[in-house]
Amino acid sequence: MARLAFDRVAVGDQLPAFSKVVKRDDVKAYADASGDQNPLHQDEAFARSVGFPGIIAHGMFTMAHVVKAVTDWAGDPGALRSIKVQFRAVVFMDETLVARGEVASKDEAARRVRLRVWAEVDRGGERVLPIKNSEAEVELA
Amino acid sequence: MPLNPSLKGKEYQELTVTVERDYVLQFADAIGEDGSLFRDARAARAAGYGEQLAPPTFVTRMQLMASAQVVLDQELGLNYAMVVHGEQEYDWRRPVVVGDVLTATPRIADIYAKKSHEYLVIESEIKDARGETVVVGRTTLISRGTAGRD
Repeated sequence: MARLAFDRVAVGDQLPAFSKVVKRDDVKAYADASGDQNPLHQDEAFARSVGFPGIIAHGMFTMAHVVKAVTDWAGDPGALRSIKVQFRAVVFMDETLVARGEVASKDEAARRVRLRVWAEVDRGGERVLPIKNSEAEVELA
Repeated sequence: MPLNPSLKGKEYQELTVTVERDYVLQFADAIGEDGSLFRDARAARAAGYGEQLAPPTFVTRMQLMASAQVVLDQELGLNYAMVVHGEQEYDWRRPVVVGDVLTATPRIADIYAKKSHEYLVIESEIKDARGETVVVGRTTLISRGTAGRD
C-alpha cells in the first residue's frame, strides 16, 4: 500500500472505521506484549474491589486501535507524525470498540493533515467515548 | 496525600533496549496489526524502510519500563491505586524498526492540581544509537482525589 496523496484528501473526510470486539484473551495478550500487568485488566475480583463491574481494557490497547485506523487510512505507518489522546471512559470485555477519525484541517506547505480521532462503544444503546477530544497528524504524499 | 511538587523537572535513569523481532510480532498480534510492513522485512524494504517496522505504539513497552522509576519514586509520594491514565501523546520523527537500539530517558515534565485531582506528566525522549530522537512520549497520570489542602 502506498502513502495516500495529500491532494486526494478533503476537510471533513471520514476515515474508515476500525472495529474490534474486545475479548479477555486480547487484553491478556496486550498485557503480555506491553508489559502492563495491572490486575485491573486481568483480575475480576480486583476490578470489582476498585469499583468497576468487571475487568477493563488498557487505555493504550484502545489507543493502538485508533492509531491503526489512522495508519490504515494513510496507507503507510511512516506517515504518522503525532497523536494526542484523552482517555475518558473505560472499555469492558465483549464490547465492540470502534476507532474513528475525520480530517480537521490541511497544511498545504507541509503536506500535513490534522485529524480528529476518537473511539466509541455502544453500551446498551448509549454511545460512550473511551477516547475523545483527541487528534493526530499525518504527512501525506 | 499530595505529590511532591519539587520533583518537577527531575530526570531519571536511562533505559536501553534493542527492538527484537519476536517482541514486535507479539505486539502486532496483540493489537490485531496484520500489515505486511510489520511482519515481513522484505515487504518493509520494498516500501523503502531499512527493516521490518514496529507498530507506532510499540514504544509503550519501553516507556512503561522506564517510567516505573518515576511511579515508584518514594520522594514523589504517588499512590498507584489512585492513578488513572488521563492522556497519552507521541511525537514521531521516524518509525521504529527491528534492530533499533533505543534509549529512553524519563523525566517529570509537570506536576499540577486541578480541583481535587493531581496531574503528573512524565515525558520520555527516546533516542537511537546515533543519539537522534526517534519519538517523544508524554503520559499524563491522574492521581484521583489527592490534591489535599494542609
